Amino acid sequence: MISDTESLALMLQKVRDGDRLAFEEVYRRTSVKLFGVCLRILPIRQEAEEALQEAYLSVWQRANTFDASRGSAMTWLITLARNRAIDRLRAKGKIASAPMELADEVADPEPDAPSRIEMSQDEARLAHCLGTLGGGDAGLIRTAFFDGSTYADLAARASLPLGTIKSRIRRALLRLRECLS
Amino acid sequence: MTTPLPEDDELLAAELAFGLIDGAERDAARARLTRDEDFARAHARWQDYAAAMFHDPGEAPRPSVWTAIEARLPANDVARISPLRWWQAGAAVASAAALVLGVVAMQKPAQVIVRVPVAQAPAAPMVAVLTGKTGLVTVSYDPATGRMTSAASGLSLGEHAPELWVIPADGKPRSMGVMKVSAPGWGKVPSAAVSALSAGVTIAVSVEPIGGSPTGLPTGPVILTGKMAEAT
Repeated sequence: MISDTESLALMLQKVRDGDRLAFEEVYRRTSVKLFGVCLRILPIRQEAEEALQEAYLSVWQRANTFDASRGSAMTWLITLARNRAIDRLRAKGKIASAPMELADEVADPEPDAPSRIEMSQDEARLAHCLGTLGGGDAGLIRTAFFDGSTYADLAARASLPLGTIKSRIRRALLRLRECLS
Repeated sequence: MTTPLPEDDELLAAELAFGLIDGAERDAARARLTRDEDFARAHARWQDYAAAMFHDPGEAPRPSVWTAIEARLPANDVARISPLRWWQAGAAVASAAALVLGVVAMQKPAQVIVRVPVAQAPAAPMVAVLTGKTGLVTVSYDPATGRMTSAASGLSLGEHAPELWVIPADGKPRSMGVMKVSAPGWGKVPSAAVSALSAGVTIAVSVEPIGGSPTGLPTGPVILTGKMAEAT
């Protein structure tokens, strides 16, 4: 039997060859999740819908760059959707530039325990590990990822030297890996 | 098993996956993915972690999103067909019936070839040939008069009506009106659609209740699509 993940990868290989039915099937199976990805970054529905369109057009055009030996199809799709949504943020000049507090007391803005039951195993594990970081580091990583902020953007927003931000996030990433592996 | 990456490399893979680096640093890290297996593996792992940040189960987008995506697929793009083949097709099937519409169309398996024979009108008219699983619709539009003609063949929708839409780059369909299935029709294009009509835009036919979509947006499936081309 073919697992969902495997068959999604096979489907993407068909899309690469220009198979429209396979493309429709990929959309049918993944658009709910990917729309959630776009909405997380672009809360205005119309903008999220536009990003979703761009994302699937990229799927159609760039299915040849998907390499099943290099990662899961779902991760590839989510990454692509996130990138299109961030592109749209940038194009609209909406990359967050609001000053940011980095005080240690800052609570993680995303309490995730209540909804964890709906998460996949990987998602729950990541949420758990982010929760162990403490000191506002989880919030910092989330802000960077969902706002499309690079080290340079974050340093500007927090009015801190680039090196300070960088070493703080790097420490958090290493702790994250330790927890996840 | 592979040996663990040096800490700096591991972090670079994470930074690339989380979008923390930009410019030359990012480009260099990306280039490394293609030649450093271990680094690529670490990056893939971090991408999985990054993807798991989206733990929201998501929600269904409106059906119009798929309609717009499908309409923008490049396979609908008649401009991709080389000029030579347009000419060949034009010579091969210059039938009188098709000339009535100012369009000669010939359908090949999964491909449509369009040839527009004579068009010296002052404000270049436009034509589109719409194809799908079954049936064929031709649309011509004259900007000078704001009028269009449309004709369908091989289309049978029973208790439903085919509605024509123009879908410009913004992806929002504007109705061009309901068309007749039984005979070619002439009509004025609604002003909201006129401003969206230009060479290269997508034209689509959706299945709607008799009288047209009650919402102003396609409510039924899109069955035919094509691109407007300048008839010069």
